[in-house]
Amino acid sequence: MRKKSEPSFEFVIPISYGSTEVIETGKWGFQKPHTAFMTPPCQEACPAGINIPQFLYLSNEKRQDEALLTILRENPLPGVCGRVCFHPCEANCNRAQYDESVSIHEMERYVSDVREYEIQDIQPLSNKDSRKVAVVGAGPAGLSCAYFLSILGHQVTLLEAKKEPGGVMRWGIPEYRLPKSILRKEIQRILKLPIELRTGVRVGKDISFDELSQFEAIFLSPGAGLNAPLSIEGEDLKRVWRGGDFLEGINRKDKIKLGKETLVIGGGNTAMDVARSALRLGSTVTVAYRRTRNEMPAIKDEIDEAEEEGIRFEFLIQPVKVSLNKKKRLRITFQRMKLRGFDQTQRPKAIPMRGEFFTLETDHLITAVGEQVDLSWMPKELIKNNLLDAGSTSKIFAGGDAVDQPRTIVTAIASGKKAAISMDLYLRGEDPDVIFSKIRVGNKSSLSMETYLEGRDSGRWPEVNEVVSYQQINTLYFEPSRRVRLRKRHPQKVLKDFSEVNLGYNSEEAMLSASRCFFCGTCNNCYNCYYFCPEGAISFDPVQGTRVVDFIHCKGCGTCAKACPRNVVKMEALS
Amino acid sequence: MKEFMTGNEAVAQAVKLCRTPLIAAYPITPQTAIYEKLSDWEASGKLEGIMMRTESEHSAMASCIAASLTGVRTFTATSSQGLALMHEMLHFAAGCRAPVVMVNVNRLLAAPWGFWADQLDSLSQRDTGWIQFYCENGQEALDSVIQAYQIAEQVYLPVMVSMEAFFVSHFMETVYVPEQEQVDRFLPPIDLPHKFDIDKPGFLVPVVSSELYRKYKQMAQVSMDSVKEIAVRVDQEFKKEFGRGYGILEAMMLEDAEVVLVTAGSITSTARLAIKDLRKQGNKIGLLKLRLFRPFPREGVQQALRGKKKIAVIDRNISLGSGGIFCQELRAALVHSPDHPLTFSYIAGIGGTDVTPEVIQKIALDVIARSEPIDQPMWIMEE
Repeated sequence: MRKKSEPSFEFVIPISYGSTEVIETGKWGFQKPHTAFMTPPCQEACPAGINIPQFLYLSNEKRQDEALLTILRENPLPGVCGRVCFHPCEANCNRAQYDESVSIHEMERYVSDVREYEIQDIQPLSNKDSRKVAVVGAGPAGLSCAYFLSILGHQVTLLEAKKEPGGVMRWGIPEYRLPKSILRKEIQRILKLPIELRTGVRVGKDISFDELSQFEAIFLSPGAGLNAPLSIEGEDLKRVWRGGDFLEGINRKDKIKLGKETLVIGGGNTAMDVARSALRLGSTVTVAYRRTRNEMPAIKDEIDEAEEEGIRFEFLIQPVKVSLNKKKRLRITFQRMKLRGFDQTQRPKAIPMRGEFFTLETDHLITAVGEQVDLSWMPKELIKNNLLDAGSTSKIFAGGDAVDQPRTIVTAIASGKKAAISMDLYLRGEDPDVIFSKIRVGNKSSLSMETYLEGRDSGRWPEVNEVVSYQQINTLYFEPSRRVRLRKRHPQKVLKDFSEVNLGYNSEEAMLSASRCFFCGTCNNCYNCYYFCPEGAISFDPVQGTRVVDFIHCKGCGTCAKACPRNVVKMEALS
Repeated sequence: MKEFMTGNEAVAQAVKLCRTPLIAAYPITPQTAIYEKLSDWEASGKLEGIMMRTESEHSAMASCIAASLTGVRTFTATSSQGLALMHEMLHFAAGCRAPVVMVNVNRLLAAPWGFWADQLDSLSQRDTGWIQFYCENGQEALDSVIQAYQIAEQVYLPVMVSMEAFFVSHFMETVYVPEQEQVDRFLPPIDLPHKFDIDKPGFLVPVVSSELYRKYKQMAQVSMDSVKEIAVRVDQEFKKEFGRGYGILEAMMLEDAEVVLVTAGSITSTARLAIKDLRKQGNKIGLLKLRLFRPFPREGVQQALRGKKKIAVIDRNISLGSGGIFCQELRAALVHSPDHPLTFSYIAGIGGTDVTPEVIQKIALDVIARSEPIDQPMWIMEE
């Protein structure tokens, strides 16, 4: 380096070492920025109301424990939901309007799988007013309700008719979609809370319904465990299975042998599970559905995967009779159908085409045309339209597949949570409608347990945030990118056993996926406001992770509000 | 290494050889080729510095000033309208004593619109406190850029190296590109003493009192005046290293000359040819090339033109309402010379029009025939 003996800096040019801070430019403004978080549409759409941007943010920061804890505040079964949820979050993701939605569903699974989380951070409240409560049925709704009731400090007795908890997750969904090890881990985590689980206790048989009255509040979630019949001739023949029984047999590890060909009747998730399981038992499988593919109630991914695995579909046909041919194979007579008009739920109606019949022969027939609730043990006043209905006056609450709601895992979990809050409010003598309006997540049906716990004892409820729309996102700051495609087991191996098909994300894929989140309506410390503030009036508190505005120098120019990609910073006129 | 290249590429070669860490620029014809060449090298990893893309020349100069005040070498290139847009920042660069080096490709100023050679753009900036060189060809431009850093970094003043549009910027000629080791020897890395100190943050360009303002202007004038000596010394050192030198002005056939032509830039090359013919015809004529324009080499000019009878200054520029700007400066420099010669202002080559040997001959014959002073500039056109 050439060193100069030239005059010093100050000698050559004037320089001030004083500060311009004495000039209180903040007095010039007419408006001030303030931070107002908003609810992202994914969180609003999630029946469990999971704080999705927060868990993605934490995961992206490699803070996987906190990410999982974020989910566990609203949903005790992320490993299950990360596999079998119908993920309405992704359908409502703002990013879907930009390029492709964020892989929220797969990220939930990743966050759940990446950590063997010990539950010590989820502690029950110390509840002076702890009561004895009962939950009937340890499926997703019952487990969820028991979990949240226990967190709320109540003494929970969980009754399960079968010898193991889990309900449809244990006995319905096959291993290749939801490994039992995952389910077991999640249930174990729930049962670390002080919950008394009693299995093999069937209400109406092992204890009477009236005996439940010893509890101060009761949640009923018996599920829909009965297989709906086809109600046609020949349905009781050998080698005709009911879908639920078939799946339960497989999940019980019974030795089930199928012939060369299997025909499955139905278009829902059970039909898909049945068909794909039959395929794994070495049969060729055809699914017959009375409407078309568009009307199938099964999750779209499931239909696609079934098709990829080699299942054939026959649409617009309905079985009318089952008989045996001379070789003692099953012969099914079908009626051809057509779509005409709509039913009350606006689904196209399938009606028979007069005189159009044909027959198909098969080795096995498995029917999966819906599930029904076993109402035999219930008092008449709790039954409405063949479903469970607890009404709103008694100390009895209900949820899950037995009540009138969509039959999905996450809906069941949400109903368990809602019931837990309702029961807590009932035991405290408070009006649920008032509280529900304060703990809602967006404008759909989701409720936040986190908010409930925040306001429950203090009586101070945070403001309910508005939902942030795509139009409010400043997409200039995002670059288009594709979703990370999900890796699956090799298609030639996949049918050989019941091992899980989807392989989940590795850490690199997860980082990529989490970083695609727009973090709508929340601050992810992108520092845009900090960088763009012409006054240098914005700073970040590294300890709190919060943004601090120096109002003595903020001129209220609004640059930070414009530069916020997530619509968190808003300008407010000064009076 | 001897290569065939345009003046623009010669400039880019110089910037690369000087290992300039920050180049902030905005493209404008006819300078863009410099910018493109440097960008190509940046893309292929051959450039040590970084190209900073700015949204205007004003910002390019602001960036150079800021970077320079962190203690590093900087470069920008511009032309015409771009230079005019920079005007405010030119004063800041000089006032902040930032040794920025800039190449300006002389192009006419609008309106009307055009791209052709004319020196009015840089001459309009003569009072901004920048050192100014005018180059005859690509080789001189390359060498002048290297010299410019050496001078700028000694006096803490910015340097503008000018060369005419197309005649120099786009003409391909043989250029000697020096070896990197030679340039490194001549121009070692710098660590400017006046740079920002993170540990002692300061605010530049504060409000100062009238007296302080005057003090800094006086100091800058002293520094500017010292450039005449320093530039000569640097040029001699350069000649020692590279075998080429230019002086701050160049006198040709002046010893017995009665009439002297004065030129700057590419017209000099043509004039070199023209005076040979004029000499053959028996005219006692010489040529003086002005290379350094700011500071104006008053003493050198006085000495070179002592005892001459008539001077013809050829200007590829005009200050409307006055005349050729080099002529004004020359007249002002000679005003205290004893028996100072009659000085005539000839305007030729405005807007990139051709200044052929015939045009120069016409000027020479015109001035030889005159005996009375004339204040008005005279427009000389090709036939």
